[in-house]
Amino acid sequence: MPTVSPRRAGLLQRQLPMTWRVAIAFAAMSMAITGLLAVVTWHLASSYLLSRREQGATTQAAVDAHLVQEVLRDPRRNWPVDLIQGLAGGGDVTVALRRQGTWTVSGPAQDVPALPAELLALAGSGTPARQRVVAAGQPVLAVALPVEGGVYVEVAPLSGLDSSLRFLSAVLAAGVGVSGLLGLGLGSWAGRRALRPLTELRDAAARMAAGDLDARLPEQDDADLAPLAATFNRTADDLQWRVQRDARFAGDVSHELRSPLTTLVNAVAILRRRRDELTPTAQQAVDLLDADVHRFRTMVSDLLEISRDERIDESDLEECDMVDVVTHAVGARPGIVVDVATTPPKVLADRRRLDRVVENLLDNAAHHGGGAVRVGVSPSSDGVRVEVDDAGPGIPVELRKEVFERFSRGGIAGRREDTGGTGLGLALVARHVRAHHGRVRIEESPFGGARVVVEIPRGTT
Amino acid sequence: MTSIPRPARSAPVRCAAGGTTAPGARTRVLVVDDDGRIRQALSLALDDEGFAVSTASSGEEAMTLLARDPVDTVLLDLMLPGTDGLTVCRRLRARGDLPIIIVTARSESAEVIAGLEAGADDYVSKPVVAGELAARIRALVRRRRPDTAAATLTIGDVEVRPDEGVVRCHRDGGTADVHLTRTEFRLLVELAVAGGKVVTREDLLRRVWDYDYLGDTRLLDVHIRRLRCKIERDPDHPALVLTVRGSGYRAAVRADADG
Repeated sequence: MPTVSPRRAGLLQRQLPMTWRVAIAFAAMSMAITGLLAVVTWHLASSYLLSRREQGATTQAAVDAHLVQEVLRDPRRNWPVDLIQGLAGGGDVTVALRRQGTWTVSGPAQDVPALPAELLALAGSGTPARQRVVAAGQPVLAVALPVEGGVYVEVAPLSGLDSSLRFLSAVLAAGVGVSGLLGLGLGSWAGRRALRPLTELRDAAARMAAGDLDARLPEQDDADLAPLAATFNRTADDLQWRVQRDARFAGDVSHELRSPLTTLVNAVAILRRRRDELTPTAQQAVDLLDADVHRFRTMVSDLLEISRDERIDESDLEECDMVDVVTHAVGARPGIVVDVATTPPKVLADRRRLDRVVENLLDNAAHHGGGAVRVGVSPSSDGVRVEVDDAGPGIPVELRKEVFERFSRGGIAGRREDTGGTGLGLALVARHVRAHHGRVRIEESPFGGARVVVEIPRGTT
Repeated sequence: MTSIPRPARSAPVRCAAGGTTAPGARTRVLVVDDDGRIRQALSLALDDEGFAVSTASSGEEAMTLLARDPVDTVLLDLMLPGTDGLTVCRRLRARGDLPIIIVTARSESAEVIAGLEAGADDYVSKPVVAGELAARIRALVRRRRPDTAAATLTIGDVEVRPDEGVVRCHRDGGTADVHLTRTEFRLLVELAVAGGKVVTREDLLRRVWDYDYLGDTRLLDVHIRRLRCKIERDPDHPALVLTVRGSGYRAAVRADADG
């Protein structure tokens, strides 16, 4: 069984947005460069300081050794203990002299005899030598010089140097940190800037997904981005064309159906006129034909209307009095009470569509609710409200949205043959109401059936 | 809208004030449609409704037929091969006030308005049903007979004689006959008879077109525009046929001119 394994992207790549990844890459890069510089700087500075220190210590040791030599050569003084103590002088340098296997040590207790034997051996054999060693946990520089009949040793601590170097490294580390932060900031800025076209792309795609098929990306000057924008726009064009084509299809079909329908309708009209000349069977056939040709015709015109552009042409808007619309629609239909409350405001609307809305609601009540019993017109919060009540079976709560779908039969199968409706009436109502930015819903009628409530906002007058 | 073609005032008027139908004779209808089956079905059904039907399959054929055999009404499909319906409509209108009903593919604004501005008196949308069409034709043919007893009506400097079907403009020291189609004439008479009172759009549609209000005010608005182009000094600033916003139209009375 084939399994689809997710692409193994790095954790960073998978979880962080692109801007952050770019920012982090910038920060890492800048830290790497400044870190390298810092390491080099630290090395150069520390070796320079160290060599200066060594040089100083060595020179000092040489001068001191010379003094010791002088004393040693002077026959009047045979043991330069005072001198050794004087040279150490309470400082942090330890001075030691080995003569005839005996150590004379002065200064901070340094375990001078424990110094590397090679160093001492080298000095003993007449070669000045120095070595960095760790004594008692402290980095020290030991300088061993040959003197008359012995070895003169000075051990100088390097700890002072160490603190300078620590300060230097702290400064360098801080520099690396700051450069990392700057890199992060720069990277996030650059990332956002570079991704701005992507943000536009995302917004355009979101608009498109929300149904705005006119969403397009602006033309891009950038050679890298131009193809992306062009591709997106081309895809959008294509999509829009397809959507429109699909939407037009029903319209085109209905359009084409009208020529044969004209022939049908008129031929049936001739037959109907001659109904009395026909045999009873043929009469029944003509009646059936007549009824269904009529329904066919209504369906085709409803389909045409529903596949039309929903937007209302500015020139079709006029100030409409809903009371007029309702009174006119109710017109010849018997048994409907028109109930007008106070003075409902006039609305700026397409009168043809308002007529259609009210007609369809009355038709719907006639087909499914035994006919409308009351039509109410009243002011709503932002315009006018129309209520169409019937005394039929009503519409269950769970179907109240569904009945506004095309060809929805309100879930009541088998009623189709009785109703004579096209299944598009309420869908058209919903569409026309939506085109006017209005609302339509179904409630329970106090007469026991369904109440369809349509609210049309006043519009801008 | 200044592009509305005005018929030349000197054009020969073939059907002036009412056609040539003898009383009791069948109203003659020319059906122009390129679909043979539709022509046949409409012929049969209109014949059933009591009309004398002739047919043409193209604009050219229609013009030839009309030159030879006058009719009372033309039913003109706007989608025709060759010379299109709008052109045919304009040519027919330029030749006289023969009533024209156009057949539009859709009842959307643009096509209907284009057809009405080309001079059509009325329109029907596909599919055309003979029964409804018959009512329109009858209304249109009847249109030349306004039901008023007055011999002369006046709106501003325009004089209307309903019986004779004459409209005269007394303007700039002279008198000129204005040639109106019967729809425009009937509209003007309806407004003049009301004597300055508002006539609602619904009433005008019902009285002139015999429409039980269909909510289609384009029909009315286009004809009012055409009427204004013919009788107003400045059609963009009408002084004779006034719009009453949200309600209808009214003819100007003396008080309007004085005020």
